[in-house]
Amino acid sequence: MTATTTARPALATGGRRPRRRAPARDFRTTRWGWAYSAPAVLIFAAFVIVPTGYTFYVSLWKWNALNPAMSVYRGLGNYQRLFDATQPTFLSSLWHSLYFSGAMVVGGTALSLALALLLQRGGALLNASRVALFLPHATPMIATSMIWVWIFNPRFGLADWMLHSLHLPTSQWLQSSTSAMPAVIVYSLWHEVGFTTVVFLGGLAVLPNELSEAARMDGCSAWQEFWHITWHQLRPVTVFVVAITAITSLQAFTQFYQLSDGGPVYATTTLSYLVYQEAFVLSDTGYGAALAVVLFAVTVFFTLVRRRTATGADSALT
Amino acid sequence: MTTASSRGIRSVIKTGRAGRLARRALALLIGAAFVFPFYWTVVISLGRPGEFSDFPPVLLPHWDWSNWARAWHAAPWVRLFGNTVLIASSTVLLCLATSLLAGFAFGVLRFPGRKFLTMLVLAVLMMPGTVLIIPDYVLASDLHLLNTYWIQIIPWGASVFGIFLVRQFFLAIPQEILDAAALDGASRLRVLWSIGIPMVRPALVIIAVNVFLGSWNSFLWPVIMTSSSMDSSSTVQPVEVGLSTFASAEGTDFPGLAAAVTFTTLPVMAFFLVLQRQFIRGALSAAGGVRG
Repeated sequence: MTATTTARPALATGGRRPRRRAPARDFRTTRWGWAYSAPAVLIFAAFVIVPTGYTFYVSLWKWNALNPAMSVYRGLGNYQRLFDATQPTFLSSLWHSLYFSGAMVVGGTALSLALALLLQRGGALLNASRVALFLPHATPMIATSMIWVWIFNPRFGLADWMLHSLHLPTSQWLQSSTSAMPAVIVYSLWHEVGFTTVVFLGGLAVLPNELSEAARMDGCSAWQEFWHITWHQLRPVTVFVVAITAITSLQAFTQFYQLSDGGPVYATTTLSYLVYQEAFVLSDTGYGAALAVVLFAVTVFFTLVRRRTATGADSALT
Repeated sequence: MTTASSRGIRSVIKTGRAGRLARRALALLIGAAFVFPFYWTVVISLGRPGEFSDFPPVLLPHWDWSNWARAWHAAPWVRLFGNTVLIASSTVLLCLATSLLAGFAFGVLRFPGRKFLTMLVLAVLMMPGTVLIIPDYVLASDLHLLNTYWIQIIPWGASVFGIFLVRQFFLAIPQEILDAAALDGASRLRVLWSIGIPMVRPALVIIAVNVFLGSWNSFLWPVIMTSSSMDSSSTVQPVEVGLSTFASAEGTDFPGLAAAVTFTTLPVMAFFLVLQRQFIRGALSAAGGVRG
């Protein structure tokens, strides 16, 4: 008991009573901090940090996966190949990545914000809908992609059946090179939007009420209240949602593998998918590594852009 | 005219009882739409052969369980499930240990180089998994770790999210509590074990459920790091990879595949539904973290 009462003033005033402060300082200040961090840092070093550097190294070789000693140094040759016209081209896959990520960022953010506004302020039924929305995010992409292959089937799928019932023109979905990417985007929104909705709900739950109430008293419409106040207050949460969606979309792989297989005619071959394809299907590890380096650069670019545009409030997660 | 009518609707929504009802109805409809694909899969899995390709689609099950039996016998599902559970639980245990220790170090301890290590761990967030898969494959191959449980567990045994969540919780604990214990002569590990763990327990639960689910749902990593050997009973592959292999082998047997999708997804769905509060708290804490 005495310990608690003596320690408090010592920490609060910071140094006026060095004699009492000493044990607490000794407890906190220790080189053993390295040892406590070591397990996590070693795992990251071995499987993330060093391998990132190693990717650069591999990208300079015509890498022989079976016998690395037989690899041939190519310098920047793999990077020059990026601009070759062989299908699927690097530039088209880069475009597909940006197309997908852009649609996910804009569509996902708008949709999840709208859903969060709809579902905020409790009630058992709204909570149940929240769980229903989150459910796809919690289930494996492989399994759910298979379901959506059937939904998108132009012969018997639910998607065309719905369009047909509404007397709208039907679509070939995954089987046409123009509608394949939109179909993958629809699936991905279904899979991801539950998570970002809950993030927005978390943001909405901690917003101070005074401003909104004042606005309502002054006769603002619901839309004005949202546009001038809520949206503004939610800015840090929006920045976070945009960032996390951009990064996960750039890395997205499983849905392109199981849903569309990168096709038809490479229409859904994104940069991530092309890395896999070149390195592990065509066994051109060096070229795959060069593509991975570009993907890394794109990710870093977006992270840095976001940091420059982010305000101080969201620095906790940057 | 549209603006006038939509404003009318909105004022009703804001005030009236009808509006509250409309909002509930819309929420219910959207919730049902999100769950419907799962329901439809169950319907296909219980349908008569050939029926799946009917148009308009069949929307009620016929309770034909033969598809389930056929799918269940076509692959070593028990082994695959066992692999997934083993890999996911080991990853969780490792992740809890590393997150707890590093979160304690970053949130409580003071030591030279702490800033540097914190930045280093944060930098990990910028390195996408797709970039790492090539060098990690080369590394795993050199270390003869391909086709083992180890390569599916250890690389995922540390989580930036986990470390920073534990750190946040430690920062929120009144400093006196830990210091008092230290003054009473407890060692640092003792303080962490008997005072730290109970106080950051909610963080540990959030980490555990999220890492477990993440491990269960991962695909690219295990598909690269293990080779497909479905007929063998010694496979180390997780169930999702098994499902993908099953799909490419039996691609045209839609009801059978729907059955496999259903019984491989049900456990993870039940896991989520039982612990959904923890998942939603995890996502909420992401937003809370944003607001610092």
